[in-house]
Amino acid sequence: MNDNQISLGDEQEEIPDSFICCVCLDLLYKPIVLSCGHVSCFWCVHRSMSSLGQSQCPLCRHEYNHFPTICQMLHFLLLKKYPVAYKRRELQILEEEKRSGCFSPQLDAHGCNSQASQDLHIQNNGTAGPKQTRGGDYEGTGNVTDEEKNSLLNTDSGSADRISVADVICAACKQLSFHPVVLNCGHVYCESCIVKPDEQMLRCNVCQSSHPSGFPKVCLVLGHFLEEQFPKEYALRRAAVQLKQADSKHENPNACATKADTQRKKLSPWSDPVHIRFGCDSCGMFPILGDRYNCLDCFEKKGFDLCSHCYNTNSKLPGRFNQQHTPEHRFKLVRKDSIRNQLKLVIGDIDDISLALIIASISSEGTISPDAQENAENRSAVHAPSTSSGDEQDESLTSD
Amino acid sequence: MSGGIARGRLAEERKAWRKNHPHGFVAKPETLSDGTVNLMVWHCTIPGKTGTDWEGGFFPLTLHFSEDYPSKPPKCKFPPGFFHPNVYPSGTVCLSILNEDSGWRPAITVKQILVGIQDLLDQPNPADPAQTEGYHLFIQDATEYKKRVRQQAKQYPPLV
Repeated sequence: MNDNQISLGDEQEEIPDSFICCVCLDLLYKPIVLSCGHVSCFWCVHRSMSSLGQSQCPLCRHEYNHFPTICQMLHFLLLKKYPVAYKRRELQILEEEKRSGCFSPQLDAHGCNSQASQDLHIQNNGTAGPKQTRGGDYEGTGNVTDEEKNSLLNTDSGSADRISVADVICAACKQLSFHPVVLNCGHVYCESCIVKPDEQMLRCNVCQSSHPSGFPKVCLVLGHFLEEQFPKEYALRRAAVQLKQADSKHENPNACATKADTQRKKLSPWSDPVHIRFGCDSCGMFPILGDRYNCLDCFEKKGFDLCSHCYNTNSKLPGRFNQQHTPEHRFKLVRKDSIRNQLKLVIGDIDDISLALIIASISSEGTISPDAQENAENRSAVHAPSTSSGDEQDESLTSD
Repeated sequence: MSGGIARGRLAEERKAWRKNHPHGFVAKPETLSDGTVNLMVWHCTIPGKTGTDWEGGFFPLTLHFSEDYPSKPPKCKFPPGFFHPNVYPSGTVCLSILNEDSGWRPAITVKQILVGIQDLLDQPNPADPAQTEGYHLFIQDATEYKKRVRQQAKQYPPLV
């Protein structure tokens, strides 16, 4: 029965295996590049993340903790290259999203999105500042994004199949990306253009968001595509990069774990407060470890949350699931216990070994039952007076 | 969370399999008595590798997919009592790539699973025994083990 409906219409577009998502085995839709360089769809990555602790790449089991942002370059590339199939995917996913009431970010201005989300898009550009601009001079560039958007619009409505070098430039050197790497924020750089800071975490020059997962590996899918699409330009870039590297021995980017990296890694769901099934809408940390700040004004089903690091720093980026969050929104602080303590409250004091067994069984189940979690919350309120639960008790905070 | 993708993925798996699959293998979703297809259960056949004691056997294997597929691996079962050191008495195959906590990755396809199990037939993993009989013969009595394997291969002739 299903066999007939499987392939609808887009047979004329031959999609290479490299653009097939390894999870859904369909054309990549709203692609996300993990720091190991592997690509999967927005929802496929989201679904395969663990809500209790470390997540693993669906392709290579590389561990990560942060849900990356969609790679817009790859998104528009696929849209241009395979308009029919990509449109089919868009409709299919939108249908699923409507059913679940939870939406992925809207990326293009002329898709099937509503006026409201277009407004949101523009609003985000205005308020969230540098999010989408490509220049290093990110101050006061709200207009640039609109121009960029227009140029994108024009090019893809004009010549459907044409992809120009301008679509695939490195955010730093502004030339064709050679050995492209994609940061957690979704921006694309040449591997050789990324300079590893000595002390702190890698930071994106475009949007200033940090890249928490060590030095990213080259996205081979994108790299091979660029090499195929622009053989001459790619060869030139290769020569130029090699020359540059021979000139000044580039500090080895592969020795990646910076001090800050290792410092941040110390958080663990076992011993630190963990917010099961809540992710940070700024850096993508999932589940949130430490304190969580929940937006009081976002009405979306998904809610809007920040980890304490993002709450305390600049980032007031738009939500990961198209929430209409603005910097004026107020936050409340939510505190949680570590898994160890949450469980202890539910099942009483037991030794660490049985706890470890229970944890293992929970992680293989994938979720903790909502009852158990609720229980833990309620009890933690009783046992630890400083931990609040229920709206009246929450410390309401206003962001400024 | 939004609905699973198990069925969509399995439909794609089916499509890919029809386009191309390794020689001698069979894999198809179960057809129910009312004629509808159940994508969540696949009936497969794994041919024994030529040049091994398993040659000539076409071993029936059933894959049971859950709604969490492909985040979780399918359960792969031979008929109960299947003779192999790494097959549980129930028939469930014990293989690292089918274990969520060690080797499973959502990127592993049905084709890779079947080929992986074909490899396992002739290359059992003595570090991970799942049945006493197969395991003991494998490490203690090579000739008897061989005999049993050949016997079993005859028990599963090709389904012409």
